[in-house]
Amino acid sequence: MKSFFRLFVRNRAAVAGAMILLGVLAMAILAPILYPDDPWDMVAEPYLAPGANPDYALGTDMMGRDLAAGIFHGARVSLLIGLVATSVALLLGVTIGALSGYYGGHVDRALMRLTELFQTIPAFLFAIVLVAIFEPSVTTIVLAIGVVSWPPVARLTRGEFLGLRSREFVLACEAMGMSDVRIILRHCLPNAAAPIIVTGSLMVATAILTEAGLAFLGLGDPNVMSWGTIIGAGREVLRSAWYVCTLPGIAILLTVLAINLVGEGLNDALNPRLRNR
Amino acid sequence: MNSLMSLLRGALGALTTLAVLASASHAQQPTPGGTLTMVVQPEPPTLVSAFNSAGPIGVVSTKMLEGLLTYDFDMVPKPVLAESWKVSPDGKTITFNLRKGVKWHDGRDFTSADVQFSAMKVWKELHPRGRSTFAKLTAVETPGPLVAIFKLSEASPYMMSALSGYESQVLPKHVYDGTDMAQNPANGKPVGTGPFILKEWQKGNFILLEKNPNYWDKGRPYLDKIVMRIIPDAAARSAAFETGEVLLGGFSPVPLSDVKRLEASGKFDVETRGYEYLAPIFLLEFNLKNKYLQDKRVRHAIAHAIDQNLVVKTVWYGFGKPATGPVPSVLTQFYNGNVPKYAFDPKRAEALLDEAGFPRAGGGKRFKLIHDYLPYGADYQRTAEYLKQALGKVGIDVEIRSQDTAAFLKRVYTDNDFDMSSNFFYALPDPTIGVQRIYWSKNIKKGVPFSNASGYSNPEMDRVIEATQVEHDRKARRALIDSMQVMAQDDLPVLDLFEVRFFTLASKKVQDHTLSGEGVYSSFSKVWLKK
Repeated sequence: MKSFFRLFVRNRAAVAGAMILLGVLAMAILAPILYPDDPWDMVAEPYLAPGANPDYALGTDMMGRDLAAGIFHGARVSLLIGLVATSVALLLGVTIGALSGYYGGHVDRALMRLTELFQTIPAFLFAIVLVAIFEPSVTTIVLAIGVVSWPPVARLTRGEFLGLRSREFVLACEAMGMSDVRIILRHCLPNAAAPIIVTGSLMVATAILTEAGLAFLGLGDPNVMSWGTIIGAGREVLRSAWYVCTLPGIAILLTVLAINLVGEGLNDALNPRLRNR
Repeated sequence: MNSLMSLLRGALGALTTLAVLASASHAQQPTPGGTLTMVVQPEPPTLVSAFNSAGPIGVVSTKMLEGLLTYDFDMVPKPVLAESWKVSPDGKTITFNLRKGVKWHDGRDFTSADVQFSAMKVWKELHPRGRSTFAKLTAVETPGPLVAIFKLSEASPYMMSALSGYESQVLPKHVYDGTDMAQNPANGKPVGTGPFILKEWQKGNFILLEKNPNYWDKGRPYLDKIVMRIIPDAAARSAAFETGEVLLGGFSPVPLSDVKRLEASGKFDVETRGYEYLAPIFLLEFNLKNKYLQDKRVRHAIAHAIDQNLVVKTVWYGFGKPATGPVPSVLTQFYNGNVPKYAFDPKRAEALLDEAGFPRAGGGKRFKLIHDYLPYGADYQRTAEYLKQALGKVGIDVEIRSQDTAAFLKRVYTDNDFDMSSNFFYALPDPTIGVQRIYWSKNIKKGVPFSNASGYSNPEMDRVIEATQVEHDRKARRALIDSMQVMAQDDLPVLDLFEVRFFTLASKKVQDHTLSGEGVYSSFSKVWLKK
């Protein structure tokens, strides 16, 4: 664990990313304390520019809603959707990849054909179709993002498992009469975890972007304020009130960048082959 | 006294001079020629309005097909295919003298047989509103090729308001008779009498119309071509106006937030006239089967909780006027302002909800409603967002549900699976045509869009509505319509929020685009371009 931290800290960019990410996390946690009111409340006159009124430092949107409150509360929604959708994708991807890689043969062939089927459909378009069919809500958006983003995880996990399957310690476990479930969970998975964690961390960024893209197209949950929702609503006024789109856009940019940097750092710290790069 | 009179006379003279000057500066000599590029959105599914009343069809279709009449800004009928008409004293016989020398685009003569066919076989049977408008029409007699006599079982005074080129299009009998009308290829390539002929329709891209050289109104149309561009994104439409790529668009073609900027450039006219015929009104429909909404006090409370002025001013950028009832104030002959009103008063709303037996429970919420909104754009969604906030303030938890237009219409009008929906209706020139459909219990029809979706049924209301349909005496009819408005505002099965003010955005180059109450639904035969 100690060496993990040492290795992670060696990557300066990763540390910067972690700092930004902690900042965003703090925004999400502090949102209900700093802005106890509903971010949808129309609190001031519409189209206040940032800085025009110190009470609403980041200005207001076309309905007179406080943009700062929106961005703080939006951090909660965007991070939540990013994390939960990634968990869904990991659950699906790891399960399918593990079964496929461990058992091989017909199981492998069947599951990989299924994976390829999903991989041939462009992920974002597929997400749009799913959300449009099942009506936009946080649940459907999370599930849609999860459903479209698991195939790479499945392929990665399968690759790792294929390699591990023929290793001596796995054969030894088998010879001892250990159950398949136990071998997969206790011995294979921990050894395959490093690349999965790295991929997963980057998937959070993609999930946040996908949610923002959906909301931008009007397919967000109309009841929750995510960064994408604010951008989608502000798109029409881009020419007259640039800040409505720009500010949450910057928030997304920083968060996605930070997650990517952290992912890169995790890769350095967890991937033994790169340790002496 | 004398000096006062002379002063008045002087003022009057000055006014007259001003008026003459104003009209002189306006009456420029039209120059023929040129191509008008305009936007139509969304893309129409077909090009004939005679049996499909969807809005965008009307914009395209009315340039090629015509009606018997048109209407000025005060809804006074003017001749088109009918040159003159006479209504018998009992209102049961209307004689139309048709225009001579009118030819269909395929060269055949237009005759009274076409009118007979259109009225009996198309409007009366297939048009969604025509079915009730022409319900009392029993026959159309054609004693001569240019005379059509409408025979009614009972007077239908509202019928004379429904004969525009959008509402009741005259179709060629020789093209449609004996065919499956919905599948007729002419629906995509109309054969009409109008000033323009369809040249090309490239789906998803543009519709090209060309001048009809044999148009009955000699010297018109002035334009050589009309190109109707299909640009689905509102912000992109705005950019197209600014670059001069398109010159005209109806039904508020750009985001409301952009209007001020475009107007300030001095290159555009923002014309809010031309929608008098449609008289659109934005409303909330309450599903009376909902266990909370079936209580009248809850509906009254919702009305008190909503600030109509804020909706108009902030959400719709002033393009509207708070409504006081089901009949919009632009229908001056029928509007009744003396009805129960619900001022913005959240305290009163809370008191009513308490009284109805729905006190604030855990988390300060009384009960939950799902709100479906017509997904026509950002303004509609922002309205839903406002309603959620406003009702949340009095303890009603509103969840917004979004879906596409087809799903919305199916949910509300076919499945009846909604609590509260927001939508807009055309009130049209006569309450019998546009307004009664929302309140008449015989109009609770599953699968018919824009019918009585709230499930409201009141025998007294039905009696008044049915009496209005056949009352020929103006005064008595007005009294009936007045009482209908009072009843509607008291029972409140739907809550009329505001009268929508659509606008036509036009480059200053485009002249005479709005000459009647039909606006962009008029034939455009008199539109011309300044060089």
